Amino acid sequence: MKILVKGVGLTKFGELWDKSLFDLSLQAATEAIQDANLSAKNIEAVFVANMIHGKLANQDLLGAAIASLFNIKGASFRVEGACASGGLAVHLAIQSLLAGTYKNVLVVGAEKMTDVTISEITSALMGAGSEAERKAGLTFPGLYALMAKTHMQKFGTTRNHLAAVSVKNHYHASLNEKAQFPFEITEEKALNSPEICMPFTLFDASPITDGAGAVILSSENTPRRRALTPSRWTAGDVYITGSAVATDTVGLAERESLVEIPATKQAAKMAVKQAGIEIADIDIAEVHDCFTIAEILAMEDLGFCEKGEGGKFIVQGTTKLGGRLPINTSGGLKACGHPVAATGLKQIIEITQQLRGSAGKRQVKDAKIGLTHNVGGSGATVVVHVLQT
Amino acid sequence: MNSPVQIWRQHKTLHNYLNKIGKLLVWTKILVAPQGFENQVPYLVGIVQLTEGEKLPVQIVDCDEKDLKPNQKVQVVIRKIGKARSEDVIEYGVKVKSI
Repeated sequence: MKILVKGVGLTKFGELWDKSLFDLSLQAATEAIQDANLSAKNIEAVFVANMIHGKLANQDLLGAAIASLFNIKGASFRVEGACASGGLAVHLAIQSLLAGTYKNVLVVGAEKMTDVTISEITSALMGAGSEAERKAGLTFPGLYALMAKTHMQKFGTTRNHLAAVSVKNHYHASLNEKAQFPFEITEEKALNSPEICMPFTLFDASPITDGAGAVILSSENTPRRRALTPSRWTAGDVYITGSAVATDTVGLAERESLVEIPATKQAAKMAVKQAGIEIADIDIAEVHDCFTIAEILAMEDLGFCEKGEGGKFIVQGTTKLGGRLPINTSGGLKACGHPVAATGLKQIIEITQQLRGSAGKRQVKDAKIGLTHNVGGSGATVVVHVLQT
Repeated sequence: MNSPVQIWRQHKTLHNYLNKIGKLLVWTKILVAPQGFENQVPYLVGIVQLTEGEKLPVQIVDCDEKDLKPNQKVQVVIRKIGKARSEDVIEYGVKVKSI
């Protein structure tokens, strides 16, 4: 598989009260189309990732709604996979290119989350939980807190290990002008912030965020650099060489273990095999750190470290910018922000910019192979992509 | 809020769980609640494994957090779920209490 990431566009992430879902989508998609040196008439299909706009703003049919912003008359789709909606839309767009149905497609991920109260957004997000979880009054902080507590009991993972994830990702976000929280925090601040759901404090959780990301994917064999003027050439074209989705139960309690996400293992295995690489070949990754424990679980389940060693792995600094395997250089969901359906797109965009050599102050030197890991629910849907230059 | 028909359908199977015994595997305390649960904050939720093997996510009632321990023996009870508005059908569901 070799799908060209022909263009990328990303809005600022944050509480963007003066921007609608359509403003954000228009901005990100326009930037992606310009980056690809295309016009909207070259786009044959539009894939729109979104989880909750129908629920919160009563607007469905988002495929057509976003396509019509560009007067695109080809095919349009809305893709929903909770927080993995973005990765899932990219995966489906790739399948359409591999099938030969289209040659150039636009994938947009957008979410508008800050227009409603915290209890309304908490309820809306629990649409990605099971019915039994909703009836128990569970929330996503609650579900991941159960995983964190079990990991702590079984492997000796500590609050300091969790805080280290937050401190690292805030450091990365401080180098990213698109991040919702572009500032550093100390371990002390993370540990002493208000408790939200034992053992989590405020800085263990990703925020409620508005934002959009867009990519142009192409099966055409014209390298991007040839299509652009020399002044816009970048270090190299970036291709998606692996794309896999795996599924598990929606309900956390129905799974065998609370200390692993089997769908992550399965999707990573398939994506890496498609790309013809080993997991040890990965230079950089964006993983789904919706809560600090989720980054620890991701590193273990992706195979970057042994099961139970994720906390210690973080503290060693291996995954910090400058380390052997930088993780979440965008700031991750924790500090860059988590507009749920836009997150999968942002991950692809961050890795693309890193592999192009255009990541600015947070550039990872000589990165050639990157991985994205996008999770829906508490692990029911996982999408893994491998990108190479 | 579920419709009256959904609640009626779901209530038909509740008795299958009543009085069942299990153990509490892990729990946490919810401080930010979804709609309908705001007036219960803070409340305890956890995952319980019934003697028959099935695992359930449930609220833990009638106990202090400090008295809970891993593998705590619990019993399923039927209680009101969330807060219904005055014109709504009151919804019931399974919770557990420590024994």
